[in-house]
Amino acid sequence: MKRKFPLFSLTVLLAIAAGCFGCGLFLSTDPAYMDLRNCNTAPNHSFFFGTDSLGRDIFTMIWYGGRASLLIGFLAAFFSTLLAVLVGSVSGYAPAWMDGILMRLTDLVFSVPGLLLTIFLQATMGKANVYSLSLAIGLTGWMSMAKVVRTEVLQLKSTEYVLAAKCLGGGFFHLLCRHLAPNFIPSILFMAVMSVRNAMVAEATLSFMGLGLPVEAVSWGSMLSQAENALLSRAWWIVLIPGIFLAGTIVALTNLGNYMRKSINKRHSNL
Amino acid sequence: MPDLLEVEGLSVSFYRPEGEQQALKNVSFSLHKGEILAVMGKTGCGKSVLCKSILKLLPDVARIRTGRIFFHGREITGYSEKQMQKLRGNAFSMVFQNPMTALNPCMTVGAQIAEAVRMRQPALSRGKRQEKVEELMELVGFPHPGERKGQYPGQLSGGMAQRCAIAIALAADPEILFADEPTTALDVTVQAQILELFLELRKKAEMTIVFVTHNPGVAAKVADRVALMREGELCRIAGVEEFFEESVFD
Amino acid sequence: MRNRYLIRILYGVLRFAISVLLLSVLVFTVSRAAPGDPLYAYYGEQVEKMSAQQQERAREKLGLGEPIPVQYMGWLRNAVHGDFGISYKYKMDVREVIADRIGNTLLLGGLGFAVIFVLSLLLGLFCAWREDKTADRVICAVGTLTSCIPEFWMSLFWILVFSVWLDWLPSSGAYSVGGENSLADRASHLILPLAVVVAGHLWYYAFQVRNRLLEEVRADYVLLARMKGMSGKQVLYRHCLRNALPSYLSMMAIAFPHILGGTYVVETVFSYPGVGTLAYESARYHDYNMLMLVSILTGMLVILGNMLAQGINEYIDPRIGVSKGKGERV
Repeated sequence: MKRKFPLFSLTVLLAIAAGCFGCGLFLSTDPAYMDLRNCNTAPNHSFFFGTDSLGRDIFTMIWYGGRASLLIGFLAAFFSTLLAVLVGSVSGYAPAWMDGILMRLTDLVFSVPGLLLTIFLQATMGKANVYSLSLAIGLTGWMSMAKVVRTEVLQLKSTEYVLAAKCLGGGFFHLLCRHLAPNFIPSILFMAVMSVRNAMVAEATLSFMGLGLPVEAVSWGSMLSQAENALLSRAWWIVLIPGIFLAGTIVALTNLGNYMRKSINKRHSNL
Repeated sequence: MPDLLEVEGLSVSFYRPEGEQQALKNVSFSLHKGEILAVMGKTGCGKSVLCKSILKLLPDVARIRTGRIFFHGREITGYSEKQMQKLRGNAFSMVFQNPMTALNPCMTVGAQIAEAVRMRQPALSRGKRQEKVEELMELVGFPHPGERKGQYPGQLSGGMAQRCAIAIALAADPEILFADEPTTALDVTVQAQILELFLELRKKAEMTIVFVTHNPGVAAKVADRVALMREGELCRIAGVEEFFEESVFD
Repeated sequence: MRNRYLIRILYGVLRFAISVLLLSVLVFTVSRAAPGDPLYAYYGEQVEKMSAQQQERAREKLGLGEPIPVQYMGWLRNAVHGDFGISYKYKMDVREVIADRIGNTLLLGGLGFAVIFVLSLLLGLFCAWREDKTADRVICAVGTLTSCIPEFWMSLFWILVFSVWLDWLPSSGAYSVGGENSLADRASHLILPLAVVVAGHLWYYAFQVRNRLLEEVRADYVLLARMKGMSGKQVLYRHCLRNALPSYLSMMAIAFPHILGGTYVVETVFSYPGVGTLAYESARYHDYNMLMLVSILTGMLVILGNMLAQGINEYIDPRIGVSKGKGERV
């Protein structure tokens, strides 16, 4: 059963990314400009997506805000993946006692609710910006990926070609880069894509609760931090529009990730 | 008087996204009551597909294109899944190639045999059923069946697991037993024991056996008649002596 | 034989204790390393009017003046005696504040877990049975979509639809004023949060069940079971489901604390008075004692869940048992 390539998802994702990073070319409005005569206006021909309670144009904010959201998603996933590969491969490769310590440590970090830990890490780094928030999210999302890497390395470690490379005097990093990584990359690629998605959700959730990016740093999450007031004034566009962009991006990412995942069901059902 | 099983011009294809793939091409043969027919051929020549298509155990993508199958002179080609369920476990039974994967690893040996007994004789009381299980285990050469009933397949050797699979097949008290390379996955010494078991069973239970193998030695030892398959076609069928006198293998 | 179990249990208890201890050290250090002043939680805006000396005294009174290891030892000494300190924000024993609210969280999380437990199994079974047929495809697509929507936004969306537009259901709290004892009132407040909790997690678990069953369905033993004359459905229930069940149970053991933790975000959006709202408040206002107890309670559940899962894996699944201790049973 071969999966169909998710062309539609890829197109959506690329279109959103292009819009976000290229918006300076077609938008002349400033996302931070507050048009105080037009607060909470519903979508119309001059404000395509309406304005928020501070009078900012949502259409402009969506594209500029998407930059922050996407950037945080990818940066955080990059940090997570880096850490996961490091911890996982050291753990899988090192002697049993060290493996034990590292895995207990992983379990320990796992047992603190992820969002809470992110809040602390963010707090230790001071006021949130895109980079510190990415780091905080990245540092809390590596655990399950590290376990997968460890399992893969454990299996690979005993294969003959790794033994052969070892006999020839290859050091740990040589082995990691030349022999181990090419083998476990396919199986963590899916998880890496998923961690982009998880990081975007985490950013949005934190910013929504007022613990992530501040309101003036526009992201899809921080746009939603006004949502609770918007609900009272029935300003649905403030709630729905950023959420639809966020969810759409995440669905597209998920479809891409699922395509990359190792396919297990090669044979036919016996039922 | 019709033969026990007759197959006429059977063609089976697998319909995959890559295209149609013919697994059986116009296969015809008949099976006499009480004989052992060895089906020989290289791997992938359609031996297993032949058995499974008679039993309708093929996956959804495989379909019988043409041909007819008669059992006791009655056509069963168009039988529904419901009707086939009545034949399987009653008239037909099968032993698979690898006992280690064919047995459910999470169920005790006894429970798996008991399940087969129950499908065949639902009215039997629990005690009677257990008696029957032990009887079957003894029949296939299990020492101390009472104790070994509680073991899981993972705790058995390959030979023992295959004996267990045979016991399951025998629980159906089948008229035709299909054995799909039942000795291939086993050690050589164990192979000989299992072959002996088949010969013994034929004598005791008067079963008709279709014995699939790729090993001419095995075929020569057990079969009354031998059929040779090549790339989905049945190219030769003859009595065992005649077959091996002038056979050329490739 | 009995001795071995005893040793195992003792070992488990020891591991649990050490994990909880380490967890408390971790949360203690990280939370105190964060800049921000817990005095704000206690005195509110007044802090700004206090002189440096007054602030110093207040700090000492709350035991915040000493170095972190000393503070930790003090906290630990009291905690062992069951004293977890007072909440800076509520100025009450943290145990009391939590006791007031934990019932609400357990109700929401427990009900959510129960619904997810049953539905994910049924949904997974159904999808595995109808693999690649239209029904399976539609469910997979809808499931992927719902699991992609961030919980907080799903909450907002449903509040918008059911509370703001349709005005059918309340949007916040656990009961209306004066409705504490009315079951109908409580239930109506529970529907939306519960729906979000279930929708947010259901598909993940159902999908795992489906994939696990699809692996089972491809095993050779299915052919053997069908050979016995069993129908496809019978094989699915009696063999495949049965084999997949241990891994499902161990997955759900880990899922319980996860689902409970997931209610925290939902609680915040619905202003539902549970432990989750406390957790975020305490992190935000540096309410250290509250934070410690909430994190430790949650962490304990996670560790227990993991240990339970491991136990299930080791004892119920005979395949693992055999491969681990070959020769022991024979």
